[in-house]
Amino acid sequence: MKTRIIAKLDVKPPFVVKPVHFEGLRKVGKPAALVEKYNTQGADEIFYIDIVSSLYRREILIDEIKRASNASFVPFGVGGGVQSVNDFSNLFHHGADKVIVNTFAITENKNIISEAARIFGSQAVVVNIEAKKNYNGWECYTDCGRIPSGIPVLDWAKEVERLGAGEILLQSVDADGRQRGFDVELAKLVVDLVNIPVVVASGAGSLEDIATLIKEARPSGVAIASLLHYDKFSIQDIKDFLRL
Amino acid sequence: MSNLIGIVNYGVVGNIYNIRKAVKVAEGESFLVESLSDFKKADKLILPGVGSFKDAMEELERKGFVKPIKEFNKPILGICLGMQILADVGFEYGKTKGLGLIQAEVKPIICDSQIPHMGYNTLEVLESNPILEGIENEEFYFMHSFEVVNYNNISALTTYADHKFVSVLCNDNVYGVQFHPEKSRQQGIKLFNNFINLSND
Repeated sequence: MKTRIIAKLDVKPPFVVKPVHFEGLRKVGKPAALVEKYNTQGADEIFYIDIVSSLYRREILIDEIKRASNASFVPFGVGGGVQSVNDFSNLFHHGADKVIVNTFAITENKNIISEAARIFGSQAVVVNIEAKKNYNGWECYTDCGRIPSGIPVLDWAKEVERLGAGEILLQSVDADGRQRGFDVELAKLVVDLVNIPVVVASGAGSLEDIATLIKEARPSGVAIASLLHYDKFSIQDIKDFLRL
Repeated sequence: MSNLIGIVNYGVVGNIYNIRKAVKVAEGESFLVESLSDFKKADKLILPGVGSFKDAMEELERKGFVKPIKEFNKPILGICLGMQILADVGFEYGKTKGLGLIQAEVKPIICDSQIPHMGYNTLEVLESNPILEGIENEEFYFMHSFEVVNYNNISALTTYADHKFVSVLCNDNVYGVQFHPEKSRQQGIKLFNNFINLSND
C-alpha cells in the first residue's frame, strides 16, 4: 500500500506553531487556513495536536478544532490534553476521525487506550510516542517532549499495541523541527516491532530524507510539518518525488 | 419530490458530524434520525460507523431501530461499521446478531500485515452499482480491523497485503461501503452525490 503523507499541525491556539526540539515556537498561521491548504494539496491525512493543553492542564479547545476540521475532507486526527473517554467522544462529535493520546496514558492511566478502543474501535485510537535517545536506547517523554517518563520506547510501543491502539505516531524529540533527517534507526525498530500502523514524524528536511525513511523503515505514514509550513515543498511535490 | 437523508444516530459512537458535512457538500439535505417517527420523514438512510459491532447493535436494539431499518424499503447506505452491521452476524467482542439485510458474517481481518488496514486503497469492481458511477477507478480511505465475509451481493473487492476482502456490496437498494467516503476527497463526495440521486422507489 502507498505510504500516507500526513500534514502535522502543532497548535498553540489560536495559531499553528513550529517548535524546534519541541520548544522555541514560531507562528506559522491559523489552523483552519492550513487545513484547507493541505486538504487542497492532496494530503492523505491531517493531524492536529494542541501542544500546550497537556502542559497547562487545561481543557481541549473544541471550537478551534471544529473550525479546523470543517476544512478537511481527509481523515483528521486530533490530540493534546486528552484525559478521558469523554474527551474522545467529544472530539469525534466535532470532526475528529482519530484521537491521539500520550501524556495521560503514560502518567495517569494506560487503560484509557483499551477503553477507547473498546468503545470507538482500535482504528480511532492513536498513541503519540515522543522518543528521546538516552545512553541505552530511547525513552518516552510526555507533555510535548518536556518530561521524561522512564519508560523505554520499545516496551511502551509493544504495550500500547497490546492495549488495543490502532496506530502509533512516532515523534523524535531530538530530531523534531531541525530538518536534518528522521531518526531512521528508531523508526525501523518500532515498525518492525509492532503489527499496527506506525506514522513517523520529526526531522524531514528534504525529499531525500522522506525517501530514505520510507525505504529503510517502511512506515505506514510519514507526518510532515516544517517542510510544508514554510512552503519548501507541497504535498504534491513530495508525492511526485516518491511516485505515490 | 422530497429527498431527505436520514443519518441514523446510534449512541456516543459515530462520525456523524463529518458525514453530514460531506452530504451537504454533495448537495444533499440531511437530518439526524433520533426517534422512531424520524424514519417516516427520511427518504434515504445512512448508517454511519465508528465503534464496535456489539455496541452498535445493542444501541439500535435499545432504541427500537432494528425493525424500522429492516423495513425501510428505500435506499440505505452503510459506511464502515454501518456496512458491517447489515450482515447476519458479527464476531467482534463475542457473537452478535446483525440487521440481516445482507447474507454475511463479520470477522477479523487475517492477513500478513499490519491491522487495522489504514490508508487509501483501490477497488476491483466485479459488478458495478449506481453509487460507484464515475468513481470506480478512484482510491478511497479505509480504516478497519474487521471485514464482511459474504458470497453474494458483492460489488467490489479490495486487496490488502495479498488478502482480498469485500469493500462494496449491494443488495437491491441496500448499499454498503467498507471505506469512508466522507474522508475520501472529491471521489467520496461523488459517491454521496450518486447515493443522493438514487430514485427513492
